[in-house]
Amino acid sequence: MPWPVWALLLASLSLYVAMRAMAPAPLAHAAALPHPADPERVRAASLGEPIAAAQLLTLYLQAFDNQPGISIPYRDLDYNRVTAWLQTILSLDAATQYPLLMAAHLYAQVPDESKQRQMLDWVHRKFTEDPQRRWRWLAHATLMAKHRLGDKALALRYARDIARLAPGAPSWARQMQVFILEDMGEIESASILLGGLLATGEIREPSEIRFLTQRLEQMKKAAENSASVTKY
Amino acid sequence: MTQQIVTIARYTLLEAVRTRLPHLLVAVVMLFGLIGIFVGAIAITENARIQAGTYAASMRLAAVFIAAFHVLASVSREFNDKGLDVALALDVPRSHYILGKLTGFLTVGACLAAVAALPLTFFVPLESAAAWGLSLSLEIGIVIAAALFCAITFRQLIAAASFVVGFYVLARVLTAVQLMSAHPLTGADTPAHQVTRIVIDALALVMPALDGWTQTAWLVVAAPDWSSLGALLFQSVLYTALLCAATMFDFYRRNL
Repeated sequence: MPWPVWALLLASLSLYVAMRAMAPAPLAHAAALPHPADPERVRAASLGEPIAAAQLLTLYLQAFDNQPGISIPYRDLDYNRVTAWLQTILSLDAATQYPLLMAAHLYAQVPDESKQRQMLDWVHRKFTEDPQRRWRWLAHATLMAKHRLGDKALALRYARDIARLAPGAPSWARQMQVFILEDMGEIESASILLGGLLATGEIREPSEIRFLTQRLEQMKKAAENSASVTKY
Repeated sequence: MTQQIVTIARYTLLEAVRTRLPHLLVAVVMLFGLIGIFVGAIAITENARIQAGTYAASMRLAAVFIAAFHVLASVSREFNDKGLDVALALDVPRSHYILGKLTGFLTVGACLAAVAALPLTFFVPLESAAAWGLSLSLEIGIVIAAALFCAITFRQLIAAASFVVGFYVLARVLTAVQLMSAHPLTGADTPAHQVTRIVIDALALVMPALDGWTQTAWLVVAAPDWSSLGALLFQSVLYTALLCAATMFDFYRRNL
């Protein structure tokens, strides 16, 4: 091997290693969530595979809080963009439940009431588009509204929409409105509603009928007691 | 006549085996299967759905390109090694040569599709996996016919490969491009847009809309009607016949 070749190899390797050693250490920078691409452009870029593209976008969004060397709390994300991403994913794959799970169980759990309400509102809007398949996310949103936000009026609105728009949902979900009314002190309304459910034969399970009948009796007694207290 | 076609097809199959194509296919299936399992593992819900979707989308692309480049490499090698000259010197009609090669390559493509669809039977119903596999074999068949046409016409591997890649990508995105050109955000009345729209619509008349073949929705939502698969079969046979006729036309007019 001629000595100039050795010299060139060693000199270039040494210079390169020295240059890299003197370079500053990389710093972690938190990147803001970008705007999602238009669904039609994503569909074209994915060569006509919208479902696979939706799945990849979902995993990208889910992992966005974990960037190289830095972790971003969900509450620091721009929720308008988060909502746009979730909407884009649903536009590409309408059958998936993943975006609704993320909205209800991840992004709505932040300690920021306005962001929680924004997510719950998005879940509600998406529920109205496909109530038979998406009722369980609105059921979770109902519980979130009642127990985390303390907004029983909002919880009642959601529970009423489940009962009205999702007849295929299980009875516990369709009966949530009754128990929310009871919690709101609207005993009479709750009794009438529960009585109506029992009378119309919507509830068929004997054990469930027995439980709800007992509950109705308790509500009626509670209503009578509160009426007699008011009288005196 | 048929004997010559069958013999050429048989040797085409033998070449595929001897060039380690099955080994490559198995390696690719395992790779994308592992990627699908990894992607499914990091999802917090719909794990099987994401596994099937990721594997199907990537394996579809890989199977098509493996088939296309195998055809291009095989025909290019045959030209360079003068195997074609020997075959034609044995008084094999040019049409029989093309038909024999196409039959062999289509058989290779069908085997590729079957192996690619096999892992899906663990994640999705058998009917869905079968429909997906059948459609993939039809899609690969169209691409094989296009690759054979390009290999005969261009005679240069890079040019032929570029054309096949461009053809396939355009066929996959054509529907989306047509929709975007029909409903632009701005500039709908400009002459440039009108010309673009005419060109895209003209292309749509002569190219298959391959986004309708081998859909991932068949695996993760619901299996297709067999009548719609029948329509795809008819389109695939017709387009393959068109490409085969174009290949024969170009092959006959060459001075060899």
